[in-house]
Amino acid sequence: MVSNPAQAEDLAQEAFLQLFRKISTFRGESAFSTWLHRMTVNVVLMQLRKKGLPVVSLEETLEADDEAPRKEFGTKDVKLTGSIDRLQLQRAIDRLPPGYRTVFVLHDVEGFEHNEIAQIVGCSIGNSKSQLHKARLKLRDYLKFMRAEKAKTG
Amino acid sequence: MTCSEVQRALPEFLDDSPGLAIQTDFETHLKSCPDCSDLVSDLKLISSEARQLAATEEPASRVWVRIASELRAEGLIHEPQSIRPILLPTSPRQRWNAWWLAPVAAALVAAGSYVVSHKAAPQVAKHAPATPVTPVTASDPEAPAVAAPSVPTPAHQELAQKFPKRTDNIAPAAAATIESEPSAEDQQFLSAVSTLAPSMKATYESQLQAVNADIRESQAYLDRNPGDPDARQHLMDAYEQKALLYQIALDRIQ
Repeated sequence: MVSNPAQAEDLAQEAFLQLFRKISTFRGESAFSTWLHRMTVNVVLMQLRKKGLPVVSLEETLEADDEAPRKEFGTKDVKLTGSIDRLQLQRAIDRLPPGYRTVFVLHDVEGFEHNEIAQIVGCSIGNSKSQLHKARLKLRDYLKFMRAEKAKTG
Repeated sequence: MTCSEVQRALPEFLDDSPGLAIQTDFETHLKSCPDCSDLVSDLKLISSEARQLAATEEPASRVWVRIASELRAEGLIHEPQSIRPILLPTSPRQRWNAWWLAPVAAALVAAGSYVVSHKAAPQVAKHAPATPVTPVTASDPEAPAVAAPSVPTPAHQELAQKFPKRTDNIAPAAAATIESEPSAEDQQFLSAVSTLAPSMKATYESQLQAVNADIRESQAYLDRNPGDPDARQHLMDAYEQKALLYQIALDRIQ
């Protein structure tokens, strides 16, 4: 959620401290990992708000993304066969709009189910599924573009 | 199915369990449409490769040190009492049910010290045992999970009074098998937690499993690397963690 490693460490520390302080409030209504993730998201959002950085709700970012037309990179003939370069995939994920990136990382990287993602980020299950699909399509476009660029430069 | 119908059905096909009719139509279309077939392959590849990006590195050790320091400053965790147990239950009921937690916590740390020092010099111990121990009989079902230090400490003397059949019959082999399976103390600990703080039983059970696993792994590593000081320290830390868990439980149920 933050790109600075030092800041990520500080926030991880604060998240675990919050976890320890509030462990007795865990009711078991969701999976422990979901509860911890939710707490971590809140810790990060509070920190971002303290710094005066604009925080847009996931629903707003997802709606904005829906309006952006899909760009055609002229990569129709480029295929993503075999394996994908991990570094390129990470770079492509970093390029995703925040809403897509959050849902994609939670589902395909971390392995959360859509009902858990909906609880963590505060969106509907249908929205989570829709944005995941769009995130994957966008990643495909980015990866094909990167592969085409690489083929050009040799 | 047309290409646009396939693309609309993609999320269901890739992540949910599609109905048989949809799956059949879907696969029939893919066989005849290279573009849609490539699209499905690419999306599956992206999803499967993404799992490899899951973080495998833990935060730096300084993060855990800072967390522990902050928690101690807030009084949420305490230093393990390695010599004398100073916290005792107060009410008669709690005194009866949980009196053994504090000395066992101290004994765990003492056991860790013994095992760690024994592992550091196995050849010396073979010829000239550093501690006065007597072999435990294999048939003794009460085989202790604790080891005696070379000089009886106050904790050991208190333990000797409370466990008269157990603390004097200790062997290095028995110490080496510490924590290889749930000990009688662990079971008694969980039984006490279950009785006195039932809502916390699941939490303590999982934490006990984790700390026992850490002790086993540390011990196995030390067996393979007896001269490694970090391995010795790690095993000692693992025993202290277990003692801390007992201590925390004691604090909670008071």
